Amino acid sequence: MSTLLEVSGVSVTFDGFRAINNLSIQIAEPELRAVIGPNGAGKTTFMDIITGKTKPDEGRVIFGEKSVNLLGMSESQIAQAGIGRKFQKPTVFEAQTVRENIVMALKNPRGPFDVLFKRRADAREERVREISDEIGLTEALDQTSGALSHGQKQWLEIGMLLAQDPRLLLVDEPAAGMTPQEREHTTDLLVRAARTRAVVVVEHDMEFVRRLNCKVTVLHEGSVLAEGSLDHVTKNKDVVDVYLGR
Amino acid sequence: MSNSFIGRNPSILWFLLALSVFTIGVTLLSEATGTGLISTSFLKTLGKTLCLCLVAIAMDVVWGYCGILSLGHFAFFGIGGYAIGMWLMYARTEGIVTGSLSGSALPPTPQEVTDAIGTQIFGVVGSSEFPALWAFSHSLPLQLLAVVAVPGLLALVFGWLAFRSRVTGVYLSILTQAMTLALSLYFFQNDTGLRGNNGLSGLQNIPGLEAVPQATISLWFFWASAVALALGYILFAWVVSGKLGSVIRAIRDNEARVRFLGYHVESYKLFVFTLTAMVAGIAGALYYPQAGIINPAEIAPIASIYLAVWVAIGGRGRLYGAVIGAALVSLLSSWFTGGSAPPINLGFYVVKWTEWWLVLLGLSFVAVTLFFPKGIGGIFDYFERKRLPDRQGDYGPDKGALRQQEGVE
Amino acid sequence: MLRALLICIAILFSAPAAFSQTLQEVLQANSGAVSSPSRGTVDSLIEALSANPPPGVPEFLEQWRDRNVWMRESDGMFFYAVEQGDGLVLTDIDTGAEQTIDDDAGFDQLRPNAGVRRVVGSALVQFLLSDPDIGRREAALTSISRDPSADQLAPLRASIEDEPDTDILARKVQLERQLTAQFGDTAAERIEAIEYLSGDLSVEVRGVLSQILNARQGVAPELPQDTNVARILEPGEDMTIDEAYALLVDADLAPSTVSPGDIKTALTERIEDGQVNGIPVATLNTDAARIAAYQSLVDAGEAAPFITPEERAAAAAAHVFYVSYTEPNSDITAAAEEAERAIAVRLGVGQATDLTLDALSLASIYFLAAIGLAITFGVMGVINMAHGEFIMMGAYTGYVVQLFIPDYTLSIIVALPLAFAVTFGAGVAMERLVIRWLYHRPLETLLATFGISIALQQLAKNIFGTQARPLTSPDWLAGAWVLNDVVQISYIRIAIFVLALIFLALILFILKRTRLGLEVRAVTQNPGMAASMGINPDRINMLTFGLGSGIAGIAGVAIGLYAKVTSEMGSDYIVQSFMTVVVGGVGNVWGTLAGASLIGFTQKGIEWFNPSNTLAAQTFMILFVILFIQFRPKGIVALKGRAAGD
Repeated sequence: MSTLLEVSGVSVTFDGFRAINNLSIQIAEPELRAVIGPNGAGKTTFMDIITGKTKPDEGRVIFGEKSVNLLGMSESQIAQAGIGRKFQKPTVFEAQTVRENIVMALKNPRGPFDVLFKRRADAREERVREISDEIGLTEALDQTSGALSHGQKQWLEIGMLLAQDPRLLLVDEPAAGMTPQEREHTTDLLVRAARTRAVVVVEHDMEFVRRLNCKVTVLHEGSVLAEGSLDHVTKNKDVVDVYLGR
Repeated sequence: MSNSFIGRNPSILWFLLALSVFTIGVTLLSEATGTGLISTSFLKTLGKTLCLCLVAIAMDVVWGYCGILSLGHFAFFGIGGYAIGMWLMYARTEGIVTGSLSGSALPPTPQEVTDAIGTQIFGVVGSSEFPALWAFSHSLPLQLLAVVAVPGLLALVFGWLAFRSRVTGVYLSILTQAMTLALSLYFFQNDTGLRGNNGLSGLQNIPGLEAVPQATISLWFFWASAVALALGYILFAWVVSGKLGSVIRAIRDNEARVRFLGYHVESYKLFVFTLTAMVAGIAGALYYPQAGIINPAEIAPIASIYLAVWVAIGGRGRLYGAVIGAALVSLLSSWFTGGSAPPINLGFYVVKWTEWWLVLLGLSFVAVTLFFPKGIGGIFDYFERKRLPDRQGDYGPDKGALRQQEGVE
Repeated sequence: MLRALLICIAILFSAPAAFSQTLQEVLQANSGAVSSPSRGTVDSLIEALSANPPPGVPEFLEQWRDRNVWMRESDGMFFYAVEQGDGLVLTDIDTGAEQTIDDDAGFDQLRPNAGVRRVVGSALVQFLLSDPDIGRREAALTSISRDPSADQLAPLRASIEDEPDTDILARKVQLERQLTAQFGDTAAERIEAIEYLSGDLSVEVRGVLSQILNARQGVAPELPQDTNVARILEPGEDMTIDEAYALLVDADLAPSTVSPGDIKTALTERIEDGQVNGIPVATLNTDAARIAAYQSLVDAGEAAPFITPEERAAAAAAHVFYVSYTEPNSDITAAAEEAERAIAVRLGVGQATDLTLDALSLASIYFLAAIGLAITFGVMGVINMAHGEFIMMGAYTGYVVQLFIPDYTLSIIVALPLAFAVTFGAGVAMERLVIRWLYHRPLETLLATFGISIALQQLAKNIFGTQARPLTSPDWLAGAWVLNDVVQISYIRIAIFVLALIFLALILFILKRTRLGLEVRAVTQNPGMAASMGINPDRINMLTFGLGSGIAGIAGVAIGLYAKVTSEMGSDYIVQSFMTVVVGGVGNVWGTLAGASLIGFTQKGIEWFNPSNTLAAQTFMILFVILFIQFRPKGIVALKGRAAGD
């Protein structure tokens, strides 16, 4: 188990409001990690910083064996380096079919000319099947994804994330809007994915986090409040204060 | 591979069939073949319309598919026209000048010929020097290269600047409009060396083909325009099909999400922007020899906006929609503004179409955006009974995703 | 001069009886001096005329000098006369009564010689300069400053002492200094005058100085001793060898070179049987061949030889090229140069001030044109392509009001609120009918409003025609505020500036201090939340759009006042307005102000470098904006943080 992602001393200020305050987190590979925290704790901003959407005022974000500095890279470069992200709200391309959505996400050269001229379909069809079976959308492959239900869109987005084959998965509230069975399926999927890669799950639902059965990081006011197993952190007095109020 | 490509896009076959029937029909009715039911001037209008359809397809790809409402593609069209016009004008003037100088006592030196051509061409702007812009005007291959290269380079540089700074949506439209305005102002200046607001003229006379009647030349250009349109249609149908098409439509709908999938959005936009600009240049190079004259007013931002109007009326996001829109609106425009449309007598007021056509066009355009966002091409959906997405999801993180009405194919 | 003459005649008619002796009587008394004038007699005549001057003396002197005075031989009476065919048109010297006669026999034209005429001329100046009528004194000063000469100096000086009017006195002193600088007797006197003038920016003074510094290029084998040399020109540095040689040729100091034209003429002259000196004509189609053929003519001694570059360089090196002043005294030219430099500095400052004022007024126009757009764009995210047409509607409203209310002041007062009302209505209508249905589809709003823009433009053309309509400003807005000869600004531009300030204050007030402003800001930031607090976003959007459009209407009246009202005037401003909003930053009044200032100042700044070409200025302006967006994509005043979104 080696360190894949190292976030150290990162701070971000929005109009005087400190969203992230001297945050330091390390994620190993493979590892499953849950990040919890009350609203405004900086969970989403934390993901924004790793994926390049937000540039921090100070601090370092280092990725991989070669210790690549993510802060100097664009969103697409970061994604190509092996970091996949699932948004809080499902964002799939609704005007396109499920297959098109998955094909777009498949790990392949990303340049316009590669995409234009390399049209070999045979190899990737197999992979598309594999993924669609995993997310239970094989039947719907040729449907427009705008016609899917909310839960199915969540699945499709997870499928796209898997298709990218990233080393680090950032998953923002994956279980929102799912039925209990679907949640279970999601948990399985994430646990399985975490056997070979790093998975960071941001979640509100304690039950869901408990089922993940992994190390938990509690964020509060932009920095780490506690870290450890779920049982350990729920016993922490600070965490109880933050969640239940004084 | 080609089989499956056409198989997946049956509209290409239908379009090519319609285009060939039209071309053969017009050829048989033209003056050159003796029938003469279609006059040479109307044949030119039809040929020009085909060129407009070609630039409209380019506009559709950049706007309807990639979501960049470019208000500059007609400027690229004009630049293509200028590029070919410079050679046409140079070569034709050279012929005239050599003829008149052959009468002089001493045979003219190359320098004298060049000077005389310069005086002929630039006399109207009070100059006789050849500006640097005309350095290659003597060479047809180089000017033909310029038809593609100049719009392409301009689009590449401008696009690189604009996309790099992540200017999107209406901002980008305004910026392209500014670029177009700057270009047309530049062309308007006398010291630019493109004859200011006189523009280039006499382009219908093809050097070396003085003996061929205009009726025949017009037919040749008509054919060339038809072939260019067919090739352009196939090219763009190929580009927007498959994965590239998937990516650029995804960029249109949610740019940020595509970025997180690892695509370098800027290069895709740049690719589409530049490619369409080059095709627009080719369309212009075929258009202006048929029109006979080009001046900077053709490049003004308003022309590019009309281009967007055609595409919107025809139906965005489908190539044949752009063709229908461009053909219909431009032919109607010339019919109404040409004065051949019958005036309507309301008793208290006579509606003259030369005066009221633009009002009608403007209002019908508002109506189309309000009530028929899919344009005329939307009619075809009724025949195909395509399943439309019946659910609308949540808004994504980017405002680009708010445009849910677009992009239904 | 003509005006002086007319005044002169008017006085002649109005008050001839007030004087004891008429002009004719005085002239008859000195009849000999008038009819056969000489250098010796003229002074006494002028003394007699100026001792107790009867009316009409200046006119007489003028006519006399110009040889328009005739004498009737029969009785020695003097008349002004103009020849007409064989006859004359006579004018009585005192009464001005005209009479035409068919034959000029019996009349003699008086012809004072050049010396006399000069004396008369300066006497005339003195008469006019101390004329009791202030208008004629002014006219005399104007005529002197228009055409200064040495002999006006003395009379001018003489007239200064008794000048009662302070303004005219100041002008006289100023003019005296100018004349002294140019024509003063001693060098010291002239230098003193030049130094006095060095603080003056007026065109006249600059003319005087450049007159003194009048210089010409010269060339000579050696530098001449008696000239006041401004500078030496080195061939090869200050001028090319060819230019230097051309000067030598002009000065007949060297033989002329052989131009391609000369070669062509020489060759053409010697064509015989299709050959020139044995060379077939058909081969002479390159410059090299022609030179070779010409050389063969030279070798045969039939044409002037070429002058090689070495020969030209040698000839140039053998001579001195210089620029010399016409004024021989070097101290004077040095003083004048010093004065010119001082003036140039002050002129530069003046022009910079003028440019700043120009830029300021341009910025206020852009601000007025763009602020409405900024409000709608910022608050609603809606691009209104028909904004320019709202400006046009405002201007046409002003024009129509003037058709009904002829008083320009009143009509402007009526037009401003009316234009606001009209465009407010149009804006509200457009919002309700079109834009409301297109929220969240910004690109389509852009296109739909563009459709409206074409329709409105054509509609205006159908109603008002294609020619420009005037919107006349009231008299108190005509004219300009003149600070000095360089810096001036028209009142209308000041008014527009003031209007822009008023609107800035008004909009800030509405947005920051009123309930409407609060609601507008709430809707801007979070429409959903605002709606749940009981604010009706539809109403706010409608009002905002109306407000933005209404301001466009007022801007239209203001713009119409100094530019022409046409159906296309809107499109002239729309792109600049967008630029202003984009550069300034969306959704912020201060941003718009900053954007307007940046664009106005940059455009004027570019014009400063290239004043002849405003098209180029606009082109570069737009390029500048495109590049600017590279560095600040969100404008000068950008919203920060998460609220700004992507």
